[in-house]
Amino acid sequence: MRLLKHGETACSCKGDSPLGWGRKIRGRLVDSAHRRFGLAAPWVQRHLANCPKCRQRLAGVVKVDLALSVIKSQPHRLDLLMRANTAAIRMLSHQLRQTEAADRLKEAEPQPSLAQRCAGQQNAIVNVAACLAVLMLTKAGIFTSLDKARTHGDAALKQYYTDRAGEDLAGEVFKS
Amino acid sequence: MFDRAIKYDLLWDGSAAEAVQESQRWILTAMNRYGHELVTLLWRILGNEQDVLDAYQTTFLHLAHLDGGRKPCWVKAYLFRTASNAAISMLRQRTVERKTLSSITPAGEVPASEIDFDAGHLAENLRSHIAQLPEHLRNVILLRDLGELPYAEVARIMGVSAGTARVYRCKAVQMLAMWVNDEENR
Repeated sequence: MRLLKHGETACSCKGDSPLGWGRKIRGRLVDSAHRRFGLAAPWVQRHLANCPKCRQRLAGVVKVDLALSVIKSQPHRLDLLMRANTAAIRMLSHQLRQTEAADRLKEAEPQPSLAQRCAGQQNAIVNVAACLAVLMLTKAGIFTSLDKARTHGDAALKQYYTDRAGEDLAGEVFKS
Repeated sequence: MFDRAIKYDLLWDGSAAEAVQESQRWILTAMNRYGHELVTLLWRILGNEQDVLDAYQTTFLHLAHLDGGRKPCWVKAYLFRTASNAAISMLRQRTVERKTLSSITPAGEVPASEIDFDAGHLAENLRSHIAQLPEHLRNVILLRDLGELPYAEVARIMGVSAGTARVYRCKAVQMLAMWVNDEENR
């Protein structure tokens, strides 16, 4: 019985590389196993309803999960890294303390990763990408339809001239 | 002659200092690269700013004096293990201090934090239980759950396979769950 961690999904669909495919397949397998043997499975639910020992175990696991989430959700102050670096650099040799890198570290602030920075704008980026995709598809569709209409129109006109004025004249008119 | 000897001596001192500076510059690079992750890990283990500063300082002090300033094969692994060990010994000390204090407190008085649901109490409780776990299980919980490292990296740091690391985490959670339940039933 595996509980999902906070932010973790049973199905991981990241990328389309061979590695991504592997992950996808593994994610599906995990998902399937979770449905059959996980908490959501009916036989587990039935068992839990009648077994106080398992219920207690599950409650314990959930409490641990909750406590871990509480620990992770408590942020530290922004200047903690700066203070920690300053304290650690103070213990290093004089030569190291005088370097430019040490000075920069004394003023360092935690920098969120690119993924974290993009997390807030994720929805907006996805929406823009979806709009662009729709626009491109529409544009491609419209142009293809226009092209088709023109070709068909040309063919119909040529046929008309061929019927009325003869093939030679029609060939001359539609030569270009 | 004597003057020249002093000059050579000064020159040697200068070049030696530069060599030391160059040879230990990797410490600053490591601090720059892993500092944020380390501070986050220590904060989650200890939950106290002053303790975080002390543990961070101890970690880099160990690193700087490892075999006369020799660079370890894998700096990140060394840093994370040293930091978690330093933090755990601090946590144990704190737990002992708290127990001593609670034995002094009269039996009739129950702290307010123990009556209602308190996130701080829940977190502190889990921290003290984590400190009691066997080393291999504790390391997985610290690195995977509090350090948020991927299983592959946790396994590499511990010198086991990723599957073993997963099994260790599962065992650790079961053990913690049992202790949490026991404490509540007491």
